[in-house]
Amino acid sequence: MGFLTVLKKMKQKEKEMRILMLGLDNAGKTTILKRFNGEPINTISPTLGFNIKTLEHRGFKLNMWDVGGQKSLRSYWRNYFECTDGLIWVVDSADKRRLDDCKKELFVLLQEERLSGATLLIFANKQDLPGACSKEELRDILELDAIKTHHWKIISCSAVTGENLLEGMDWIIDDIAARIFTLD
Amino acid sequence: MMNFSIWWVFAYYVRPIVKWFLRKTTGLCELQRICYGEISGAPRIKAVEYSLNMSRSRQVIQLIEHLNDVSDNQRFTGANEREILKGAVNTVLLVKNINPRVHYQFITSFSKCLEQIWGYRQLIAEVEELRRTTFDSDNIHHESKLYELWANLMPQDTLEGRITKQWQDIGFQGEDPKTDFRGMGLLGLENLLFFATQYRTPAQHVLSHSHHPSYGYCFAIVGINLTSLALVLLRDGSAKTFVYNTSKSLPSIRLFHQFYSYLFYEFDRFWVECKPKDIMEFSNIRNRFESNVRLVLQDPGTEFRIGVTVDDV
Repeated sequence: MGFLTVLKKMKQKEKEMRILMLGLDNAGKTTILKRFNGEPINTISPTLGFNIKTLEHRGFKLNMWDVGGQKSLRSYWRNYFECTDGLIWVVDSADKRRLDDCKKELFVLLQEERLSGATLLIFANKQDLPGACSKEELRDILELDAIKTHHWKIISCSAVTGENLLEGMDWIIDDIAARIFTLD
Repeated sequence: MMNFSIWWVFAYYVRPIVKWFLRKTTGLCELQRICYGEISGAPRIKAVEYSLNMSRSRQVIQLIEHLNDVSDNQRFTGANEREILKGAVNTVLLVKNINPRVHYQFITSFSKCLEQIWGYRQLIAEVEELRRTTFDSDNIHHESKLYELWANLMPQDTLEGRITKQWQDIGFQGEDPKTDFRGMGLLGLENLLFFATQYRTPAQHVLSHSHHPSYGYCFAIVGINLTSLALVLLRDGSAKTFVYNTSKSLPSIRLFHQFYSYLFYEFDRFWVECKPKDIMEFSNIRNRFESNVRLVLQDPGTEFRIGVTVDDV
């Protein structure tokens, strides 16, 4: 029995998952996290550094890491890659001007070896705003079909109304669980 | 739980007995004893506030409800304020059977306490209204405030345009500060602008620290996070010590801006003292800063000053 197997066994016991939330600044990462945790979302300020929350959901213990997305912080993202089971990439679907930037950053992340086993959920956030791109449009613009290295799915949502957040979380949890908790 | 119930028994049964005994021996009601005996400022005002809130007199309870309503709706100003204060003092004089001719000093001191207590409550409403106003780039007043902020912080540089990377020099996230105000709305901008204009030298001092090669940080974003902290401290009543000890008249939004400026100046000092490895330590240092500030605010005797230290010379 190798070290990794022991590690997996230990994780299995606690049913613990580590989920990393990234995306450009003003994508809505903190709002999604707070909304999902049932906290008020009307007094959020830009994240400098990171927020971490441990949530219980469907019997799983989720360690959610929400790291600030502004340009000067992106170089620190890699400090949070280790042992990540799931990556949530949050997109501001209404910010068309920066979709190109968004695509570039996402593909840089996917090259990362330490994230190679992670499940990828893309939240097409801010669907409540007029002029927001649909998830089909984003799929084209961000060229998601080129992703062959990760299990991925795109889900349209709105952190403000709460629409589809649960669906997204359920999918990523199921996908991770199928991978790490069903070895024996 | 045990602790709580002992406290409750004390407040409900023992306190009135002690109060009755003191009233009989000193000939003064509790409010008078506070106004004559406590040091002016936060210690006195907080004691008056506690005494009023504990009162079981029907008239006092009604009075409190009325004052709450007036201040929540921001009608506690100008002539209206004087009128309301007079009425409130008279009610208490009547209920507590106090002779106004003998105790004219009580009247002055007690009205001042009332002005601060409900001025504070009104301030929460006022600040909240500003926070709810979202920054709107189609509003010329909002836009001109943004330009003014730049002009005050960076007098030697001119902005090349409205959407420019230069905003990052004063610590916004990207090319357009609009989205950075988020949940703090116009309040975040007004706070920054006040700090930059009313405390020019300290603000320049703090801004230069934010450009430090190893301990630098994002000035405006830290500022907006501190607006959020100031707001939390105002709402939960911790900021009372600051307001009651600083305010000379009816608390206004200016006072909140001053509180914010104090926090910003102190945060900057704390940050540099902590010698952070990088900006990712922000949440941790911010939380430690918050507990320090709470500790300082717990002492009702604290006075607050924004001083410029020697390294400014």
